[in-house]
Amino acid sequence: MKKLFDTGNAAVTEGAILAGCSLFAGYPITPATEIAENMSRRLPLTGGYYVQAEDETAALHICIGASLGGMKAMTSTSGPGYVLYADPYGWAIGSEIPVVIINAQRVGPVSGITGAPGQGEFYLSRYPTHGGNFETIVLAPGSVQEAFSMTVEAFALAERFRTPVTILADQLVTDGWESFEIPENAEEALSLGLYAPARRVHQGPCFYPASDHIDLPPVVLGRGTGGACSDWTPTEEGYDTEDAAAHMRHAYRLIHKIRRHREIIDRQESYMLEDNPKIVLVSYGSPSRVARSAVKAARERGLSAGCIRLKSLWPFQDQLFRRKAVYMAVELNAEGQLVREIERASHAPAHFFGTCGELPAASALLEAIARLSRGLPPESLRWEREAW
Amino acid sequence: MDRLAVKYLRPRKTPSTACSGCGLGQVHKKILLAIEQLGLGINDIVWGTGIGCSGRQTFNTWKGDNFAGTHGRVYALATGLRLALPEDKKIILTVGDGDAFGIGLSHLLHCARRNAGITVIVADNFGYQSTGGQYGYTTPQSRVTDSSPYGLTDPNWLQNGLDILNLLRDAGAGFLARHLSFEGQNAVESIKRAIGNKGFSLVHIIYPCVTHFGEISLKTGDREAIFRWFENLFDGRSGDPGTPAFKSGIFHDAVGARPEFSAALKAWTSSLRQKENPRA
Amino acid sequence: MLRKEILISGFGGQGVVRAGQILGYSSILAGLRASMLVSHGTETRGGYVRSQVILADEPVDNPAVERADIFCALSQAAYDRFLPLAAWGLTLYDPYFVAPAAPLPSAHLALAARGLALEKSGRELAANMIFLGAALRGLALIPLSCALQAAREIMPRHAESNTLALEAGYRHCTGEEAGPLGGNGVFLQPNPKKG
Repeated sequence: MKKLFDTGNAAVTEGAILAGCSLFAGYPITPATEIAENMSRRLPLTGGYYVQAEDETAALHICIGASLGGMKAMTSTSGPGYVLYADPYGWAIGSEIPVVIINAQRVGPVSGITGAPGQGEFYLSRYPTHGGNFETIVLAPGSVQEAFSMTVEAFALAERFRTPVTILADQLVTDGWESFEIPENAEEALSLGLYAPARRVHQGPCFYPASDHIDLPPVVLGRGTGGACSDWTPTEEGYDTEDAAAHMRHAYRLIHKIRRHREIIDRQESYMLEDNPKIVLVSYGSPSRVARSAVKAARERGLSAGCIRLKSLWPFQDQLFRRKAVYMAVELNAEGQLVREIERASHAPAHFFGTCGELPAASALLEAIARLSRGLPPESLRWEREAW
Repeated sequence: MDRLAVKYLRPRKTPSTACSGCGLGQVHKKILLAIEQLGLGINDIVWGTGIGCSGRQTFNTWKGDNFAGTHGRVYALATGLRLALPEDKKIILTVGDGDAFGIGLSHLLHCARRNAGITVIVADNFGYQSTGGQYGYTTPQSRVTDSSPYGLTDPNWLQNGLDILNLLRDAGAGFLARHLSFEGQNAVESIKRAIGNKGFSLVHIIYPCVTHFGEISLKTGDREAIFRWFENLFDGRSGDPGTPAFKSGIFHDAVGARPEFSAALKAWTSSLRQKENPRA
Repeated sequence: MLRKEILISGFGGQGVVRAGQILGYSSILAGLRASMLVSHGTETRGGYVRSQVILADEPVDNPAVERADIFCALSQAAYDRFLPLAAWGLTLYDPYFVAPAAPLPSAHLALAARGLALEKSGRELAANMIFLGAALRGLALIPLSCALQAAREIMPRHAESNTLALEAGYRHCTGEEAGPLGGNGVFLQPNPKKG
């Protein structure tokens, strides 16, 4: 293994190249610019192509166009660009074209604080495009090491499920520096399970299998298969149709290929949950690291606390919240997004600890755990949750 | 159409679902004639479309590979596809005026700037006819449409000294031409030249919409009158100062003057790799 | 479990991030784990660019400095802003740039980094390596040789001046003037001389 001390941006780049990414199209945006810069430096030397697009809509379209031609493609952005992906994101979901998207979340709404960490696109990553009738796959790295490995995994999932995969990172994970290790060669990578399957070509004339199967090749154009992809509802032969029954079959495929194989997607890490603690902190990305620190400190003080770190966000892992506990979501936003899903999944009100633009202090989280164990709401909870 | 349709089009998509009297079929046929005269086969071309009348009616008609992009973005999609395809595969896009000159104009201009090897056929029916007849960016001035009930006041790309093809020429397009859908072999020749160009080409073909533009803007259901009105657009024969006047034929020909996007990027990448790692 | 928090802060251009990067990489060479958060946005323009480095013997959890073991204050603005974070640690400061609080609220060590850098390496910009050398001595965790190797690999063009500066900073802390060594590997100097 090669030991490095570098940023999440560098780790994402190395992961993409290991996974066989041969096209990156992007548009400069803080704090994801360095991924584009790294790709522009590394890709040409590995036989790939870097294209700077005129905007993010074009960036993701260029990626899916290349993927439609058989290349593995990736783009990266932050919130303001992620909303512009809506158009091609939906196209890639509907046409079942693999592509990998990195979102280094910053503080919104709109431009907000450009270079500070945020977590405002939790729900947007579930509904990155309009129209419904689909499931999405979203991963969330919490460290530079994971930014590397999850990029490889995202390429693998994109190929296996024929769909876009978002890596929902945050500015601290991508801009943050950390010690991490990467395999020196393909064999070492394989031994670690870091492998993204090569693109295969679906042989027409039946373009979309009407089933929930995965590991089927996507349509690739230019290989004489007579493949067809469009933004309209497709029949199994690729023709556009306005038939509701055909659309039901299409939606069924888009949803169930993901829902019925979610064991391949689900990822989480729990800490100090073995003794069924009273209080469970839930988070993803960089705040989860502070949550772990706080739980460690809480345990030293004899408080009954543990934490769950979500490494995949969508499909949401409802099964993790069956355990009876006082849940507190720790998020980098002020309104509470993850907390709503926890409440839905656990069928009970949950607490929320949110910060804007910076990590919560471990000492503040520890204080919140102490309050919760005394039956008090955490201090940062400025409004009650009577709304739901 | 029959002979060409049998040769090149999917039986399920012929005849087309376009309105009776629509000029789109004439555009479609001219592209097929050009392909035939160039001696190209099914697997030489990947056919893409936008949406709207020209996109939906031509999507997946081609016997080979097909795609349709989201509204206005098919140029960006085709740019990515261009990189993935071998150089000798042609990409032809059939799009509408709203797609090319409205929502997708930025992507179209960047496509021309990059000189991506794509042939764009803009089948222009003077507005958004598929959505029911709203005005577009080529709809003649002061015309009544469903979204300009008191007459169109919004300036368009074709009158008062503006010509969208100037913009495309300045953006770096290698070949530009303009025709009317019911012209003959001269329009086919332009399309042939466009497809033959390794870089970015665009042929602007105006065709009559009898259903909306004819009925509402020209206030007539008489097909012959509508067709005559369109014919008179060219060479300023209409005598109506409120109507744009076009010249038919090649607008700009700089075929081969600039390197094609994907070929240039591939050559540059390979020379860079040679330089950085001569043993590779 | 080992965890050390190091905060380095100063003007943009003083090599704050470079010092953190070299410290982080040194720690890997010494078999440790490290993380570093660097400043963003307006913070980079206020005279207090910051790198927060955490060293640990297992993957780092909280990457933020909340209780600095070592605080390298390279500018007055940085000193004023972040001193409270070093209430239990050692603050290293360059008297050329920083007038320390009186009375001193915590352990301080004056380090004439700018002057030493000019004198020992002939390059004022190597002052960050003077700080890093002193911090390494204070940490007593990473051999100087690891830092020398890290600096050579990361900044090959300045290998010589950085080596001289790291050694000078490290030695400076072993000298008499550094004062007594505290129980936690930390130098205590309640009354630093000015200048």
